[in-house]
Amino acid sequence: MIYAIMYGLTIGAVLYLISIGLSLTFGTMRVINFAHTITYTIGAYILAASVNDFGIPFLWGGILAVLIAASVGYCIERFIIRRLYGESLDYTFIATFAVFLIGVDIVKWVWGVYPKPLSDPIGKSIDFLGFVFPVYRIFVILLAILVFFGLELFIRKSMVGKIIRAALDNKEGVRCLGIRVEKYFSIAFVLGSALAAVGGVLYAPITAVHPYMGLNVLLLCFAVVLTGGMGNLRGTFFASFILGMLISITGRFWPAGSEIVVFIAMAVVLFFRPIDI
Amino acid sequence: MRNVLNKKRRVIQIFTIWWGQLTKTNVGRRIFELIFLIIVFLFFIPFLGTHRATDFAIFCIMVLSFDLLYGYMGRLSMGHLLYLGVGAYATGLSLRYLTSNPLLAIVFGVLAACVVGMAAGSIAIRATGACFALINLAFNRVGWFLVMSPLKAITGGENGLSVRNLSFSFFNFRNPNFRFWFVLISLIFVFFFLRVITSSSFGVLLRSIKEDEKRVRFLGYNTYYYKWINFIISASVAGFAGALTALNYGYINPNVLDVNANSGVIFACLIGGPGCLYGSIVGGIIYMLITNLLPIYFQRWELLLGVSLLLIVFRFRKGIWGGLESLFNRIAARENSDPPLEKGVSK
Repeated sequence: MIYAIMYGLTIGAVLYLISIGLSLTFGTMRVINFAHTITYTIGAYILAASVNDFGIPFLWGGILAVLIAASVGYCIERFIIRRLYGESLDYTFIATFAVFLIGVDIVKWVWGVYPKPLSDPIGKSIDFLGFVFPVYRIFVILLAILVFFGLELFIRKSMVGKIIRAALDNKEGVRCLGIRVEKYFSIAFVLGSALAAVGGVLYAPITAVHPYMGLNVLLLCFAVVLTGGMGNLRGTFFASFILGMLISITGRFWPAGSEIVVFIAMAVVLFFRPIDI
Repeated sequence: MRNVLNKKRRVIQIFTIWWGQLTKTNVGRRIFELIFLIIVFLFFIPFLGTHRATDFAIFCIMVLSFDLLYGYMGRLSMGHLLYLGVGAYATGLSLRYLTSNPLLAIVFGVLAACVVGMAAGSIAIRATGACFALINLAFNRVGWFLVMSPLKAITGGENGLSVRNLSFSFFNFRNPNFRFWFVLISLIFVFFFLRVITSSSFGVLLRSIKEDEKRVRFLGYNTYYYKWINFIISASVAGFAGALTALNYGYINPNVLDVNANSGVIFACLIGGPGCLYGSIVGGIIYMLITNLLPIYFQRWELLLGVSLLLIVFRFRKGIWGGLESLFNRIAARENSDPPLEKGVSK
């Protein structure tokens, strides 16, 4: 049971890192970004390639992966999403889905369709009251909590964060103050992409790296964002950890059902609190 | 020179008048549609073989059902294949355990899709826009998962399910020609069914929900109810397509409700032109041609699909049929605004 809770916390941490970007982009730009987890996939792949093929240490490989994924995120924002502000949601949805298809196909082109293995970079585990925990997972959970507080601080204290938060609330009002909202949207988008890539980098040693890994996680992230409330950063944090726990505890008693329980939870939440967008 | 030009113009004029006549009068239009559909699919047989042509027709039914939801009501569903899968599995399972009559099995398939549509629709229809799409996606994923593992004992899981009892008196689904004609007649039936629905006052209501739901609600309509009914109709038609898929292949595997394959249906609907029944048939045929023929020559067809989806979103929102329609309208408008002097010269 302790192990299940530990696993749930790990999943929740990774889910939080990935879905925070989705929540931010939705809240600021009113764009449902299907291409969001393509940066996650690319991050994991670049990490795998740099560690396995070029022998770069895990830390530097991870930083490289996050930087490249962030620049990919900037390109997506600049060339696709910026043209779609104010359009109907369906078109942005289809366009980002097209980006997702293109990204997955490029990944398949470059790295092939077979899964790539990656080993745990720390490899040690600690003994605590007779239970053995891998250090790496504790590191992942701590990092997610650190990111949460860092993001809270960034959003509440810094000027950029304040503008993003104001734009979450009322875009037109911020624009009327003479602030170029698009610039800040782009910052929020790149931040979200980078965090998704961090999630990919951290999750890669725990799971296998394969071209469609983004799609599975994307569905979970949508569930997190929908249950936590779109554009609500604290809600996303709690929803991701709650759903992560739900996944691992269901997985313990009924392994086959661990995936659908998230969607059932989402359906229940939406049934009682429908979202109007 | 001028004579030739006038002659050309005359031909165009006659053609537009003929087109207008055909599309305005109801009887002429229906006969034209019937002949058009049959000829198009008969035309495919020598190219692709009967089996492929049947496949095309089934896919067109699927696209029509998606178009009812997306094109007419403006709700993009990313999980419409769930209903196709439910229809296919219900048909296959009822042929295995309940009945030996394929027609009854098709009815069971449609009913199963209808019931699942009722249940899922009552939740999904509360949301709009992207939320609606995602909820459907989640449902589709749950359905796929249910087929893959908890219901493995009856659905066969990854190994799929073979359909028994394909023939009943003179409904012999083992015969490819019979299958082709049965599917083609079903396509025409579905086409006219949807034509009746979309041109009725219900269809007008759906289109007004697409334009502005708040105003429709303000007029006193319970939009929730109408959206739900439309969702159920769309799911049932998709279930019908699924039942035909099961009978056509004689074998069902979980790929029929694969989440990724939804992009194909969306793409077909968009390329043909959403909100138009011809559009979805044209789109379905073109999409099937692309996916059937392109991978032979070009391995990265997913990339091409993505790029063309982007092109459609940025440049050609109306799709092929919408483009053709506006072209015809432009020609007709130019003909009408011709100065009368030139017509006198031509005589």
